[in-house]
Formats: sequence, structure tokens, C-alpha cells
Amino acid sequence: MTIAHFQVIMDSVHSFSHAFKQAPWRIQRQWVSLFLSLTLGFAVVAALYLMVTSQATILGRQIQDLREEILVTQYKNADLQTELARLTSQAEIERRAYEMGFRPIQPQEVEYLAVSGYTPPQAALLASTPELRPNTPTLRQEYNQSLLSWLDERLQLPGGMP
Amino acid sequence: MRQQYAWRSLILNTCLALAAIAILLQMVRIQASAEAEQFRQQANAFAGEWKTYFPERGKIYDRNGHLLAGNQSVYEVGVDLAAMRDPHSIALALSVNLGKDYDQIYSNLLNPPEGISYLVIDNFADSNAVAYLKQLKEELTNQPSALASLAGLEFHARLQRSYPEGALASNVLGFVNREGRGYFGIEEKYNDLLAGQPVQVWVPSDPNRAVEIPRIPNGTSLILTIDRELQGALESILDEALYTYGAQYGAIVVINPKNGEVLGMASTPRMDLNTFWQYNSIYNNASEFNRPVTMPYEPGSVIKILTMAAALDSGLVTPETTYLDTGSIQVGGNTIKNWNEEAWGLQNMVGCLQHSLNVCMTWLATQMGPQTFYGYMNLFGLGKPTGIDLGGEAAGRLKLPGDADWYPVDLGTNSFGQGVAVTPIQLMTAATAIANGGRMVTPHVLYAQLRDGHQFTVSPQYAGSPIKPETAATLNEMLAISLEAESSQALVPGYRVAGKTGTAQIPTPYGFYDAYQTNASFIGWGPVDDPQFMVYVWLERPTASIWGSETAAPVFSTVVQKTVVLLDIPPDAVRLHLTAP
Repeated sequence: MTIAHFQVIMDSVHSFSHAFKQAPWRIQRQWVSLFLSLTLGFAVVAALYLMVTSQATILGRQIQDLREEILVTQYKNADLQTELARLTSQAEIERRAYEMGFRPIQPQEVEYLAVSGYTPPQAALLASTPELRPNTPTLRQEYNQSLLSWLDERLQLPGGMP
Repeated sequence: MRQQYAWRSLILNTCLALAAIAILLQMVRIQASAEAEQFRQQANAFAGEWKTYFPERGKIYDRNGHLLAGNQSVYEVGVDLAAMRDPHSIALALSVNLGKDYDQIYSNLLNPPEGISYLVIDNFADSNAVAYLKQLKEELTNQPSALASLAGLEFHARLQRSYPEGALASNVLGFVNREGRGYFGIEEKYNDLLAGQPVQVWVPSDPNRAVEIPRIPNGTSLILTIDRELQGALESILDEALYTYGAQYGAIVVINPKNGEVLGMASTPRMDLNTFWQYNSIYNNASEFNRPVTMPYEPGSVIKILTMAAALDSGLVTPETTYLDTGSIQVGGNTIKNWNEEAWGLQNMVGCLQHSLNVCMTWLATQMGPQTFYGYMNLFGLGKPTGIDLGGEAAGRLKLPGDADWYPVDLGTNSFGQGVAVTPIQLMTAATAIANGGRMVTPHVLYAQLRDGHQFTVSPQYAGSPIKPETAATLNEMLAISLEAESSQALVPGYRVAGKTGTAQIPTPYGFYDAYQTNASFIGWGPVDDPQFMVYVWLERPTASIWGSETAAPVFSTVVQKTVVLLDIPPDAVRLHLTAP
């Protein structure tokens, strides 16, 4: 193929492209549409971002407020417990008892009755869950008994040393 | 023409591009400059703060659940200088409500130290005063026409130790200073448990960067073996005894000899723990804080129960063994005499205890020899801390053969409680072996720990068996008989008790004993057949009488009469009748 042939073919293609080129207003409209779509996309993303961040901010502030509220409640709780203990302190109860006409009982005034099934009062159980004894620091006799006292104890057993 | 526009356009575009590049370069230069770094640091300084979250200090309860040590809120009151509008009103309000000096506050507000934007006025303001200040500030803020303003005044709450019972059991509890550290007693011994672990967290000011604050568990709460009602009664009895017998100081301790639980421990002087800063004006030294545990002294004749226990247990004597008391005995070249310097003639071992004969005890110690005698004293724990869980326990002093300051005469004097220093709690620990069938218990004040909703109860610890069970039973009976035979003032109607008085001269700094001042003591327990309480009474320098039998013994009786009522221990006859099959 010569250069002349090639030139002819290229001219034909050019003429073809000119024949089917879109109108300029149409191209402008496409560009405007594309721009508007992108702008809308950005706006949606921005709006979502704003909404999420503002919600996060509000929640963050609420968390801070609640945390503060918890602290204030804890302090109030501690204050009230101490105040209650002060109002029921030993000296205060004694003073009120005297004011009401009571006096300390003497040993000879106490009457004891046998009540079947009665168990004497135990020390306080202040935990909500059952009492635990995870460690038993009691030393076994073997660890605090001298060799001599152990031997002595063994010898005094009926039948002597096992 | 068209060519000319093209050139102009090119030049304009180039200029704009160069300007844009210059702006970019300048932005980069500014961002990387030293000043920018400084600004960034300033910004970071206000972006948040490191906050230390202190857990609430654990509470302390008595054995029946009464609060002995709790917490209450106090406030830091300060002024944000940037927000302050009316320094005069702020100074006036703070001086009236917090008792601060108006001139000083006003001057500080007008001329704050350089670089300070927040000025602390009071670190421990009372919550009532702060509540009033808050209300005042709010009212002034809501009235725009108000001439005064408390804008800038800020309040930050935190918890501080509080003792609702005031001075009750102050010697047992100890106190917590403003830095949150425990001193003396339970507060010192269990400071780490009570205080818990503080946590440091970076808290941003920007709510977008809210960080999670880790859960901070409160300090461990403690339940003590102390009975609040008994403690209060002991303190009243002690105060009355000091007044009645003209004693300077004193101590009374009640324990359960079976498990070592300290039921009450009174000591003088005491102080209101809510005003712990008065410590220096009340106490001369730390050993005065809790005498039964921190102050060793020469106990005198109460130690004879240990000498007799050693003599019985070693097989040297029996209760019926007799001794001819001639009124004096020679030991290490020194003459030892009885308390009344008289001869008591032929005595059995019960008589030696009943009449508290120094000569008889010296004879027992010399017959046992230093090795046996001091061997038993070691087993009884003299000269060593008992391990009681209270801060600052003293070990006392038991000189032993071989020590530079031990002399042969010490064998004699130690046998009746001279030349040996012990604390009341040491003697009680040793005596539990007699009351508890030969087995010594370690005294303790902690009944249980409360942690994470669980209660962990402490089990009793045994501290060895220095004597045989039969020795303990024999001596128990001997001590009860000696009190009954003497018609001691320690006797308690309806209850059979065992015990021993002690009257000890007080050594002076000049190396001899004061002839007119004594320590009067009594140790006893009951009921003899099933001991449920052990009581120690110590009166220092009584003036009404120098003798323990006339001062400490009746106090023991009073204490027991109160104890049996509060602990619901029926008289022996009733108890034996109720428990009879």
C-alpha cells in the first residue's frame, strides 16, 4: 500500500466521523449532568458524614455526662451511707436510748430461755453472694509443732508410737 | 492577534501556577517550622488531660456490719481566671463560706502566679458549704441584672475518708491522711487492699474522641472481729477506771481465746479520726497510739502464769508440790524478796500463785534452769511479735543467756515479770495456750474481706502448742482456785473465772525502779470450763492504790460483767443446765 492509498483511507474515516459527531449542546448537557452527579454524590457523602459525626459527638457528650452522673451518684451514695452510719453510731444510739428512758441491763437481770433450734447470732454476712473460704491460712499441726512435742504426743497415745 | 492572546494567556497561566506552587511551598514550610511544632504542642495541651481515677477506698465494718470507716465527698474549690468576671464577689463569697482570708484571695485573683489559668482556693471544702456556694452561683447567673457574679468559680468533688463513730476504736482503725495513705492500725496494715489500684487515663476534650474508661474496682472492704457495742463499753469502763484510780493511761483488751478474734481493744488517749491532724498534739510518740499492741512494758506478776506453766509442763512440780518460803532467795549474787518483803512459810503451788510470791517463782525458774525456762518463754512467743494484723506491733524484749545485757539474776527477775518487756497482746497470746487446751492462737482483727461481691472469711491461725493439754487444764484450775481462795475483786458473780494480777514497779531512766509508781495489770478468762473471753487490763501509774489487785482486778470484773451481757454468755449454772442432756 502506497502513501497515497493510506491518505485516501484516512480522509474517508475523517469524513465518516464528522458525519456522526454529536451536537455540541448534547455534549455540554452530558458534562453538566456528570458534574451535577458528582456534586450530588459529594453532597450525599458530606451529609452522611455530618450526620454520623454529629451523632457520635452527641453520644460522646452523653457518655461524658453519664459518666459524670455515675460519679456524682457514687459520691452521694457514699455520703448517705456515712450519714446513716453517723445517725446510728454507738454514741448516738446510746444517747437516744437514755433519752427514751432505757438503761444498760445488769447480768443478774438477764433471763435465759432454752429455745430449741436457736442458733446464736453470727458475724455479719455483707456480701450478696455466698461466703467463700478460698484460702485456709491455718497451719497444719505438723508445721507449728516442735519435734519434741510431736514425739511426746505420739508417746502418750494409747499403745505408744504407731 | 490570536497569537498575541495565546502568549498573554500562557504568561498569565504561568504566573498563576507559580503563585499556586509558592502557596503550596509556603504551606509546607509553615507546617514544618519550629513555630508550628510549638503551636501543635499548645493545641495538644488543651486537647485533653491525663486523669487519675482513684477507686473508692474500701469500707471498714465491725463484726455486726456497722460502718466504722466510710467515705464522704469533699470539694476542690478553684477559679478559672479566664472566665472570672468579678474577683471581689468571689473573694467575698469564699471568705464568708469557707472561712478564707478575703484579702489574700482577692490579691491572688488579681495577681495570679505567671502561667496559671486555674487557681485552687481550697482543696478540702466541706460539701455543705459548697452546696450553698453552688446555689449562690446559680442564682446570680440566672439574674442578668445582678451586680455580682461568681462566674469562673469551679467545684470538683472527690472522696475522702470519714469515720462516723468519731473516736470509737480509733486505736484499732488508724487513720488515712489527705494523700490517701493509711497510718496505724487497720488502715496501715491493710492500706494496699483498702486503697485499690488507681488507673491513669487520657481523656480528650473533644467528644468525638471519647475513650473508654476502664472499670475501676473499689478497694476491698473489711469486716473486723471488733464488736462495736463491746468496744464502746470497754472505752467507757477504761475512762472511768482512769478517773477512779487516778491512773495516767490504760488499756483493756477482750479476745476470744479459742480463735484469737479481738472483740474489743481500748486504749488511751484516743482521738477523733475525722480530725487526724491533731495527732501531734495528742500523742508524744507512735507507741502511744495503741498501747496493747505498740507499747511494751514490764508486766510484773501476770507473767507468773507462764513461769508456773513451764514448771508444770516440764514436770518440775505439781499443784501439790510444796515450797518453804523464807521471804528471800539468792540468784546470781542478788537477793530477791517477795512483794511485801515477808516470808510466807510452807506453800503449795496454788499458794505461790494466790499470794503472788516472787521468791517461789524465782525458785521455780532456778530449778528449771535457764535453758528450760527461756525455752518455754520462747515457745510462748515472748520477745517476738504475735503477728496481729495491726500496724506498728512492738516485739518487746526478752533477754536471753548469751546476750550482752543478760545477767544470772535476770533468770529470777524474769520469772516474776521484771527485766522483761512485753505487750498486753503478747501476754494474751501466750495465755491462750492455758485457756485453749495448750494451743496458742494468733490474735487477729480481720474477720472477712469483701471483694467483687464475695465475702472471704479469715480462718484462725494457731501459733503452736507450748504446753500439754493437761498442763493447761491443771493451771486453769489452779488460777481459778487462787482467785477464789483470795476472794479476789476480780471475781464475777455467776461466772467462774481464772486469772492473775500484776503489779510492776516502773524502771526509771537512771537504772533503778521507781518505788511509788507502778503498772497495775490483770489477765483473766472465763468461763473456766469453756473459755469464751479473755480480758487484759493495764492501768499505768494508778494513784488510788499501787496494787493491781485493788485497781486492775475490779476493772476486770466490771469488764466481764459487761462482756457476758453483750456476748450473750449465760451464767455457769444456767449454761450447764441448758446444755445438760
